Amino acid sequence: MKTGEIAQTTTRDDLAEEGPSFMKKVKSFFIEMALLSAFMWKFFKELFKRPFEFNEIARQCYIIGCRTLPLVGITGFIMGLVLTIQSRPTLAEFGAESWLPAMVAVSIIREIGPVITALICAGKVGSGIGAELASMKVTEQIDAMQVSGRRPFKYLAVTRMIATTLMVPLLVVFSDTISLLGSFFGCNLKGDISVHLFFSQVFEKLDFMDIMPAFIKTIFFGFGIGLIACYKGFNSDKGTEGVGRSANSAVVIGSLLVFLIDMIAVQLTSLFS
Amino acid sequence: MKKEPGKKITLGVFVIAGILLFISSIYFVGQKQHMFSTTFRLRSSFKDVSGLQVGNNVRFSGINFGTIESITLISDTSARVDMMLDEGVRKFIHKGATASIGSEGLMGNKIVIVTPGPPGGKEVQNNDVLESSNPINMDDIFKKLKVTADNAASITTNLSDIMENIHSGKGTVGKLFMDTSFADNMNQTLINLRQGTGGFKQNMDAAKHSFLLRGFLKDKKKDKDKDKR
Repeated sequence: MKTGEIAQTTTRDDLAEEGPSFMKKVKSFFIEMALLSAFMWKFFKELFKRPFEFNEIARQCYIIGCRTLPLVGITGFIMGLVLTIQSRPTLAEFGAESWLPAMVAVSIIREIGPVITALICAGKVGSGIGAELASMKVTEQIDAMQVSGRRPFKYLAVTRMIATTLMVPLLVVFSDTISLLGSFFGCNLKGDISVHLFFSQVFEKLDFMDIMPAFIKTIFFGFGIGLIACYKGFNSDKGTEGVGRSANSAVVIGSLLVFLIDMIAVQLTSLFS
Repeated sequence: MKKEPGKKITLGVFVIAGILLFISSIYFVGQKQHMFSTTFRLRSSFKDVSGLQVGNNVRFSGINFGTIESITLISDTSARVDMMLDEGVRKFIHKGATASIGSEGLMGNKIVIVTPGPPGGKEVQNNDVLESSNPINMDDIFKKLKVTADNAASITTNLSDIMENIHSGKGTVGKLFMDTSFADNMNQTLINLRQGTGGFKQNMDAAKHSFLLRGFLKDKKKDKDKDKR
């Protein structure tokens, strides 16, 4: 049924509520899902085909990893420090201040570190990739690459998605470490604890079931951020407005995807633990 | 990137540092769980493991030297606990050592505490079975506390009845404290007693001056003076 036909048979209220626009949204959602799946499938097909573009992967890794590290590091340090300062009074009420390093470490490594770092990456990296690819799309650079025999999908999308998949887990490792240093600093603001005792208490309560699921889910976070950003960039509308929209939706959908993956990861972890 | 070796070096350092940090965290966690050291196994059976879990610590002389490897229910009254202990501690654990289940604190995890056993004995071997002493169950403590509380309640009820009887003047103690006529009688008795002793003193003074007793009293005084000398 065409949109015009539906509009003729429905009232204005229906149109305002859930008329054709609602149906259109549902339809477009499923179309987007199908296109995204096709995009992902194309990535896996292209992944093992030559040329492997190692130099471009390394360049993207540098941009995504090294250039994001200062932002992730500062955020991580503040995160650890604030979490420690905020948790101290509650633990002090129970006389359990000695549990502070272990509690903060488990919170950071299991949940807060990966999620906050992934959200920062979704914001900084996702918007960057989305805007860059979208501007290449609207200025027809991608078409030009296609015409000149260079495979744009392989060169632009696959390399970036590999780079995000590899770099986000490493950024999370750095973020967690710097957060623990922030927590150590926080512990020493109102107390006195040596580095050795702090890290001894941290590793005393940590388990492989804290570290491994958290690390594995960051790989999916990175892949998800790269996938959404590249997809949005490659499917940008014509015009400069489309560039902004692609960058914006890459961040929004990327952040949402991080939470969705996190929810699934937590469910799976609780099943196996 | 081809013409920028500085960026490649930075990326290399970044990747290597990240991987090293990750591997070192794995190593430290594994080391705490004695995964990278030589270990030996000890076993023990308990009637009640009191919430002990796989991975909990095994403590010897207050130091964590191992972890719980597995807990298996072997019959309706006992569970077997397999422990992995650091090889270095074996020489200090002798045959006849015991294992008991304790707690890391009031709210802490359960642990197995291994005692060294009689001195001079042979050291334990791999897969040896330790005697177990069953843990103090919190439920038992609460049961005993309930009995004590019930007894205390019964005692306070009886005490309350007694106090009520005293207050209303019932019984000997009640009359003693609350009956005013009893106090008046006692007072009168004391007055009579005082009058009686006054009269008796006068009689004795009169007797001292009587010729019948004068000689006896003089002899008694002389004896007293002799003793003094």
